[in-house]
Amino acid sequence: MTNQIKGTCELFCPDAEAKLRIKERLLHYYELKNGEKNVPGQLVKAFARSAAGVKAPRAKDLRTEICLQRTVEYLLKDIILDKRRSYNFIYDFIFDRLRAVRQEVVMQQYNERQTLKLLEPMIIFLGYSRYRLCEEQIDNFDAKICNQHLQECLKRVLCCYDDIDVNSLNLSELNRRSFVEAIYLLFNLGTTEALNRALSLPTEVSKNETFDLAYRIAINYYQGNFYRALVGIQKLPHILSAIAALKLQTLRRKVYMVFAHAYTSKQLFVPATFLCKLFLYEDVRNLLEDCKYYHIKLSEDKSSLQFQKSEFNINAVTLKETHESFVEKKLTKIYLPEVLLLKRV
Amino acid sequence: MFGTLQNYLSGIQRAWSAADGDSLASFISLKDKHIMNRNLYVENPENTVERMLDPPIDEIVCAHLKVLYYLGMESRDFMQAYRQQSQCIQSVVKMLQQLKEENWCLPIMYTTCLDLRILAQKCEDLGSSSKPGEILEKAADCLMSCFRVCAADNRSSDDDTKRLGMLNLVNQLFKVYFRINKLHLCKPLIRAIDSSNFKDSFPLPEQITYKYFVGRKAMFDSDYKSADEFLSFALRNTPRNFPRNKRLILIYLVPVKMLLGYLPKKQNLERFDLLQFHELAVALKEGNVRKFDEVIQRHEIFFIKCGIYLLVEKLKFIVYRNLFKRVYIIKQTHQLDLRAFQAALQFVGETDMSIDETHCIVANLIFEGKIKGYISYSHNKLVVSKQNPFPPLNTVS
Repeated sequence: MTNQIKGTCELFCPDAEAKLRIKERLLHYYELKNGEKNVPGQLVKAFARSAAGVKAPRAKDLRTEICLQRTVEYLLKDIILDKRRSYNFIYDFIFDRLRAVRQEVVMQQYNERQTLKLLEPMIIFLGYSRYRLCEEQIDNFDAKICNQHLQECLKRVLCCYDDIDVNSLNLSELNRRSFVEAIYLLFNLGTTEALNRALSLPTEVSKNETFDLAYRIAINYYQGNFYRALVGIQKLPHILSAIAALKLQTLRRKVYMVFAHAYTSKQLFVPATFLCKLFLYEDVRNLLEDCKYYHIKLSEDKSSLQFQKSEFNINAVTLKETHESFVEKKLTKIYLPEVLLLKRV
Repeated sequence: MFGTLQNYLSGIQRAWSAADGDSLASFISLKDKHIMNRNLYVENPENTVERMLDPPIDEIVCAHLKVLYYLGMESRDFMQAYRQQSQCIQSVVKMLQQLKEENWCLPIMYTTCLDLRILAQKCEDLGSSSKPGEILEKAADCLMSCFRVCAADNRSSDDDTKRLGMLNLVNQLFKVYFRINKLHLCKPLIRAIDSSNFKDSFPLPEQITYKYFVGRKAMFDSDYKSADEFLSFALRNTPRNFPRNKRLILIYLVPVKMLLGYLPKKQNLERFDLLQFHELAVALKEGNVRKFDEVIQRHEIFFIKCGIYLLVEKLKFIVYRNLFKRVYIIKQTHQLDLRAFQAALQFVGETDMSIDETHCIVANLIFEGKIKGYISYSHNKLVVSKQNPFPPLNTVS
């Protein structure tokens, strides 16, 4: 542990690995020149588990800090905008290559500031991808692994924040911190752990407007004021609303159940328009589909719903996350690399 | 006391041969009077000590004397003292391992572990660590090494087993983990104690401390029924002459009880200087949201520092329930217009309350069983049960 290795490689992919992978034809689609077969283009170091029996990495197999930053930028700017293949394919490539970057952060024992610079974009990338791919089948995208990595990156970054004096941060660093703290809070919506952390943050971080909005959503959710949580989620900026949208199905299920108790009646109806607006559905058909799933009855003209406590399907598992139109609208307005690399927060 | 180093050491030797754990513990306690004796401040006591004492107690005493030396210096060196105390614990671990099937030595472990924790805390307070909490965490590792020896001692008879020392250590560890905010580390400890056969034979003071911490843990995990049970046990068994401890327990027990539907008496709160909760209770009873928010804001730092801020925020829906109950009493009808609730909410400070949100709040109260009835959306009315529409909160599960 004591002898710190410092990378010297200035290329995205160290020579030894490049030679081996070119020889063995182990190139990824995005590493081929213009997608031509067997013509190497820009290689990026792949992730390899550090295991017993593997030789300790030499300095020339590890990249320099600048080079790692360039790698992250290359992946989140050039590759992510490459539209030749589907996003889940792009995701797999970037995920793996970023994982290799993260591994080097550990191997080279970077300090807090160095770590932050490399890990913050990864968090945004994972959060964004988690939402973007939420409708994919399990063989195309494993949400659980993505969650795990996102949580790990978040925890690592939060520890770094804790170890840097908040007064030494400049304005943009401070804003980035507030933004990532907001991601943590929304990604862990409903847990007291995340809320307690939010309460213990220095005011410099918590007074940030976006963070404050995220905090109010979290506390309202915790208190059981779903109305305000739902209203708040709509107001969040791009990536944050995407991450919060991942909790929407849980939230909706909860409110359906609450309403099944509160509006329970064999004669009375609740208008679909009211529910549609409250639950943030753009299309009333989505509402009706979900209601059918939870065994909530429809009126004959399909304009209203009938809640019955005894009918509600309590055993129905929460529906899979979906793309929400209010989030989609926000995401079309952004230039993705700029957001992923936290150029404008 | 003791006069010379020789006298002190022969005292230890006598206690050691007599297997007198309590006396030995006071010989190496940092709370004992002997620490005032300057003759014991020796930087390198090894030779003298080894000549007079047998292993494994010699190493423990050596380390203890060094601690005294560093604490006795002109400019007290707490960091060095702490390091020597860790050394001391490592020797204690060795001793515990050597003295198989005996547990008279446990008091030695208790004292040294307690002193280690206090020294670590002192170092933290002085800002000696590069990262806050680092020293305490290291100290916890040290305590864990003792804990492991104790927990693994399952061959000795029930009277002689070192497992009887587990609870004392667990309490020390709790104090550290709560301080450095690493509550998840408590879980395996709780499991170890709860599954132990000696659960009820541990000394009462230790049980009280234990229940206090598991009560707080349950509170953080939102398991309020258990929190109530544990904290109530702690409060009931804490003797009258420990008002400070009673107050510590009440800080957590009072809000838990409030959430379960019990309001505290003013005079009791006054006695323990906890009138913050009285103000909160008054606002709660009135259903006065504005006042409630004000009280929380005024005592925000206190609530956050104690870690009960979220718990108090959770009382908000009870404030709503009490307000709605008052509306019901005024209206004297079973069909209540939701606009009346909306107006009431706006009147008590929720100025931007919409009718949709009012619906959601009432709905949630019905779901939680705090109101008995149903809502008719088309008539915009809450129809409450003829019997007991607002059941007492302590009957609502």
